Amino acid sequence: MRKIPCSGCSLLCDDIIVRSDGIFIDEVIGACLKGKERFDQVTAKNRIVTPMIRDDSDLKKSSWDEAFKKVTKLLKNSNKPLLYGFSTVSCEAQLKGLELANLLNGFIDSNSTICQGKVLNMAKETGLTLTTISEAINKADLLIVWGANAAESIPRLFNKTLFSRGKFRMTGREIKTLVIIDPVKTASFGVMGVRDIALQINPGEDINLIKVLKEECCNPGSIASEGVAGIDNDDLKRLLLHLTGAENGIIFIGQGLLKTQSKKSVIRELLELVQMINVKQQKGRISVILIGGHYNMLGFDHVALSNYGKNHSLQFSNNQLIDTDDTIVSKIEREDFDCSIIVGTDPISHLPQELSKKLAKKPLILVDNKKSATLRIADVVLPSTITGIESEGLAFRLDHVPIELKKIVNPPSNIFSDEEILNQIIEKFKLK
Amino acid sequence: MELYKYLPKTNCKECGKPTCMAFALDLLQGKVKVDDCTPLLEPKYKKQYETLKELLGAEEGIIKELKINVDTDLCDGCGICVTVCPVNARYCPPTLSGKAPDYPPEKHQLFQVKGGKCELLNLEHCRRLESEGRERECRVCETYCPREAVKIEYV
Ligand code: SF4
Ligand code: SF4
Ligand code: SF4
Ligand code: SF4
Repeated sequence: MRKIPCSGCSLLCDDIIVRSDGIFIDEVIGACLKGKERFDQVTAKNRIVTPMIRDDSDLKKSSWDEAFKKVTKLLKNSNKPLLYGFSTVSCEAQLKGLELANLLNGFIDSNSTICQGKVLNMAKETGLTLTTISEAINKADLLIVWGANAAESIPRLFNKTLFSRGKFRMTGREIKTLVIIDPVKTASFGVMGVRDIALQINPGEDINLIKVLKEECCNPGSIASEGVAGIDNDDLKRLLLHLTGAENGIIFIGQGLLKTQSKKSVIRELLELVQMINVKQQKGRISVILIGGHYNMLGFDHVALSNYGKNHSLQFSNNQLIDTDDTIVSKIEREDFDCSIIVGTDPISHLPQELSKKLAKKPLILVDNKKSATLRIADVVLPSTITGIESEGLAFRLDHVPIELKKIVNPPSNIFSDEEILNQIIEKFKLK
Repeated sequence: MELYKYLPKTNCKECGKPTCMAFALDLLQGKVKVDDCTPLLEPKYKKQYETLKELLGAEEGIIKELKINVDTDLCDGCGICVTVCPVNARYCPPTLSGKAPDYPPEKHQLFQVKGGKCELLNLEHCRRLESEGRERECRVCETYCPREAVKIEYV
């Protein structure tokens, strides 16, 4: 029986008790259903158990030797390789991925580009007040969940941050105010109490709300009587009162805000609002936690930033990082690549159809542990272990705290970790 | 608290209970009868008296048992019930920080999440059975479950 962290989502709960004989997992106690499903993945039907190579039109089982040979051949013939994914692998594997991109003079990007990566980038100008989950547990008195269905994407987030009592007092839920801002009434609304504020905002109008809040912050009394973005005047005033009066307020920014690609400025405005309130506030402060889905999406930003000085979308040339505004999306759109390495993600089902079609046209090397839509078009498939269960590694929690993932069962025979696989590709490429 | 609504709500203690709320709870469990609340027999409460009689029907006075049902189809193991239950909070310190309690469970522990689903362990320690006064009216597990998977019933 061991206590280990769960790698089911970016909360990386470190209180999961697992009973195992080292081969099978008998019992998982404390993890939510999403976490349990991650543990079940070990013996899942859709697990990939051998390397595969496409021969004519079919994927055929192969040996590791053959698979690596094919990979090396594809990479030798490629001038503009694309590396993508890396949000469900350990930091060690992410580092290897960057090393490979550098060696190949390729372009590397993580899922973070279309999610929280740009926020961290923007923070260089606006500043960003971060906080940790422990702060939320012990000290928070205001929690704002903006554009995220936390009850579904991070099932235990409310349990930990909203209902916990913390070290310094015996009351928990009673003194924490919850505000949910979302266009749809999600399952998260189910935890609302009488003092909480539920704001059903008109879709896509978040920016108007933020602008009004900023305005009101500088110039009290300026809210229009009919309210804004579908939220009435009274609720707005209550929200502002909480924002400016909270001793320890935390805004959880979710996919709903992060994914609004067209309106890049939403996040900027929000960060500016937070800084404005913090400057004015005497006693308390408002901080921000970004909610990413994959368990180690944040890791890539940290690894890339600390090793190469840029947190996402890195283009290498002559074994050096060069400046570019390209992202994975623009690269694929312009078909500016001739081969791709996809690690631990399923772009064919996540990306818009016209992009996934373009991606499918060029040779594709897949490193993953479960069968996905991407597998169906891959030319080489390299199966990997499940990090956090079958191999260890470092991952960054959503509040930027590094958590060490553990190994509790042995992987199926002949299966290596993402890190080892990427290392092998590097070694084999250098040889020839 | 459907039944409470129709009581005089004066907390006069005539029935021997400290509050009307406590009386309502016992009424629900079949431990007392509507007629035990003597003020209710006064003419001005006639309507309420009749409604109560109707609501309880033939079930009046039949002793019922507390049941807490967890619908495992709805539950997603978020652990909120584990954290909010005051009995867990008292006997399982990790729940104070929203963490899963230690394993094997403490003998008072009421809920645990196992295999991604909530499990009820020791109903006999629920405040509805063990406590006195206001604490007996505890209902937080049912109130805060985001999936409405917890139901407190008397059958
Ligand atoms: S909330 Fe996330 S990390 Fe925690 S148990 Fe559930 S899936 Fe695992
Ligand atoms: S006798 Fe009736 S009114 Fe008086 S306390 Fe009991 S229930 Fe309430
Ligand atoms: S009613 Fe109260 S004491 Fe009983 S199980 Fe629910 S939360 Fe715990
Ligand atoms: S609060 Fe509801 S959904 Fe969450 S673990 Fe308990 S029963 Fe399941």
